[in-house]
Amino acid sequence: MKRTRMLEFGVGLFILAGFLGMVFLGLRVSGVTFQQADDTFVLNANFSGIGSLKARSKVTMAGVAVGSVEKIELDPKWFDARVTMKLDSSLRGKLSKDTTAAILTSGLLGEQYIGLSTGGDPDVLEDGDTIRDTQSALVLEELIQQFVSNFSKS
Amino acid sequence: MTDLPGQTATRTGADGQDAQASSRGAAGEINLDDALIRVEGLRFTRGEREIFSGIDLKIPRGKITAIMGPSGTGKTTLLKLIGGQLTPSAGRVEIAGLHVHGLSRRELFRMRRRMGMLFQSGALFSDLSVFENVAFPLRVHTDLPDAMIRDIVLIKLESVGLRGARELMPAELSGGMTRRVALARAIALDPDLIMYDEPFAGQDPISMGVLVNLIRRLNDALGMTALVVSHDIKETLTIADYVYVIADGKVMAQGTPEALNAESDPRVAQFIHGKPDGPVPFHYPAPDFAGDILDGRESATRRRES
Amino acid sequence: MSGLNRGPLGAITSLGRSSIDVIAAIGRAGMLLVQAGIGIPSREGIGLWVRQMHFVGVLSLAIVLVSGLFIGMVLALQGYTILVGFGAEEALGQMVSLSLLRELAPVVAALLFAGRAGSALTAEIGLMKATEQLTSMEMIGVDPLKRIVAPRLWAGFVSLPLLTIGFSVVGIWGGKLVGVDWLGIYEGAYWSSMQSNVDFIGDVMNGVIKSLVFGLVVSWIAVFQGYDLIPTSEGISRATTRTVVYSSLAVLGLDFVLTAVMFGEI
Repeated sequence: MKRTRMLEFGVGLFILAGFLGMVFLGLRVSGVTFQQADDTFVLNANFSGIGSLKARSKVTMAGVAVGSVEKIELDPKWFDARVTMKLDSSLRGKLSKDTTAAILTSGLLGEQYIGLSTGGDPDVLEDGDTIRDTQSALVLEELIQQFVSNFSKS
Repeated sequence: MTDLPGQTATRTGADGQDAQASSRGAAGEINLDDALIRVEGLRFTRGEREIFSGIDLKIPRGKITAIMGPSGTGKTTLLKLIGGQLTPSAGRVEIAGLHVHGLSRRELFRMRRRMGMLFQSGALFSDLSVFENVAFPLRVHTDLPDAMIRDIVLIKLESVGLRGARELMPAELSGGMTRRVALARAIALDPDLIMYDEPFAGQDPISMGVLVNLIRRLNDALGMTALVVSHDIKETLTIADYVYVIADGKVMAQGTPEALNAESDPRVAQFIHGKPDGPVPFHYPAPDFAGDILDGRESATRRRES
Repeated sequence: MSGLNRGPLGAITSLGRSSIDVIAAIGRAGMLLVQAGIGIPSREGIGLWVRQMHFVGVLSLAIVLVSGLFIGMVLALQGYTILVGFGAEEALGQMVSLSLLRELAPVVAALLFAGRAGSALTAEIGLMKATEQLTSMEMIGVDPLKRIVAPRLWAGFVSLPLLTIGFSVVGIWGGKLVGVDWLGIYEGAYWSSMQSNVDFIGDVMNGVIKSLVFGLVVSWIAVFQGYDLIPTSEGISRATTRTVVYSSLAVLGLDFVLTAVMFGEI
């Protein structure tokens, strides 16, 4: 009987350890946070080019992560990219109407993210509003092309 | 088949005719009409080989019936057919009126609870102790409280003389002890029928004697129907009430032990008296010996040349 | 008869015969899975399952965790030398964790599991068959498919995902050990590059789903090979080898299929 209990105890520990491992993978490795889904603040922005930005890319403000890209789709009206961002709800009613969004690159070859910076307009962006002033992704090939053509002209 | 009085033995020839053989003095009556198991026209083939070509058996209730025959005649296969582990290609097996091979898997397992089987190797569960092995059928088939299971197991172990060995594991037992524990397990549920597969094979004389006594005593005390498959003629004949001899896929002879001892048919006599060669060939069927050897030499030469 | 066994006709005959054998074996394996796998577990059945969880799960833990640690360390070392050339060594955490979660942990843990637990299951069931324990169980009126095969099948199915999670956790920690503590990457970068690129559903859960499939397939192959073998010592040793070979091939093949389904359209 005693042996059976030891065995059951061992198996129980094994299963518990498995679940703890799962929690570790969830929290520490994939960075799942338990914030309420409805407690977010959604903004849109249209870009003429998004480079390699993808869903789940981060959105920062002054370098601090404040949200993530929810989805990216083509706007059939203007043929540009419409990016939906989910921001921290504490920013609701704080961002001025003339806030700009830019697609930035971390490092030379790193991943791309959106950087927001506020302006001075007294009106604020509401949930679901669209940011007018955007700056598209810097595409390395275009940059090199420009550089090369400028260089050959001079 | 006709009703056979206990004094006669019947020989079933290859042509299927019954013939009177001999008689013996007054003894226990064997009534083949009160049969627990009826086997009719049983045929079984394995691959290309026909193992049984139409066998009829009646195993009388409450008696010890022995099935004997040279090794390789499929005696163990016959037990497996009766237990429903193999399906015959033709014929039927009835146990207490139930058609074994017409049962569903669930019904078959229920029927087997009324049967015990002693395997040649004992087949004890190697991860359970002697006690737990004997308790196994009780635990899975009954809701008895632990204390009662303990009592029953100890009674069964006592009857095979191994009550003191209950804490041992199967790996620690000798061959004879293993078989006795297996016997205790087979009778744990007090089955109506118990089948012994070669119970005496590979046993030293002492444990052989112990097993002979046990089988006889269990039958007398509990009134179980017993079916013994064996080629140990002397021991089997001392305990059997009725004997079938099987060879070449057929029932070669049947009758009481006394009747078979006096049997005049040369094939039966050869088997019963253990003569090395006779009508039942010692050799497996083969082409002519001299021709075979020369043929081998030729092919070896051919191989060397090529 | 003998004419069909020789010459070119013989080759065709034997090809046909062996394909019939293979298909019949697949049929038997399917029936075994249905008969053993489906059913309501009893209280006793859970006890038997716990025993097998110990046998196939807990006892495989050591080899799986040690392998996970080393693989994580090697990944970090190899990844560092490549990434440092691009000045992107900060992305090491992402590289180590994604390789482990998506591919290496499910596959390597399943291969180790096949070698450690699968072969032992085959040998154990085969030995029970060879010593007539399965037959005698049937004669006692207990279905060995339910009593012997089912708990082992389910224990394998549950154990492997747990082992795979352990493999990933230890591997990621091993990567941190090499990358951060030895090669000197900033620890915050190791974790944050991981957190911003690993998706719980897309990466962690897909890895777990893979390991569930592998767990079922490996233990299915193992119990089937044990249950179906020729009950001699040679038969057991052959079946044990077959278990390891077939389950390794099945794991690698299925890994490709699952990867194509899960990550193919990205």
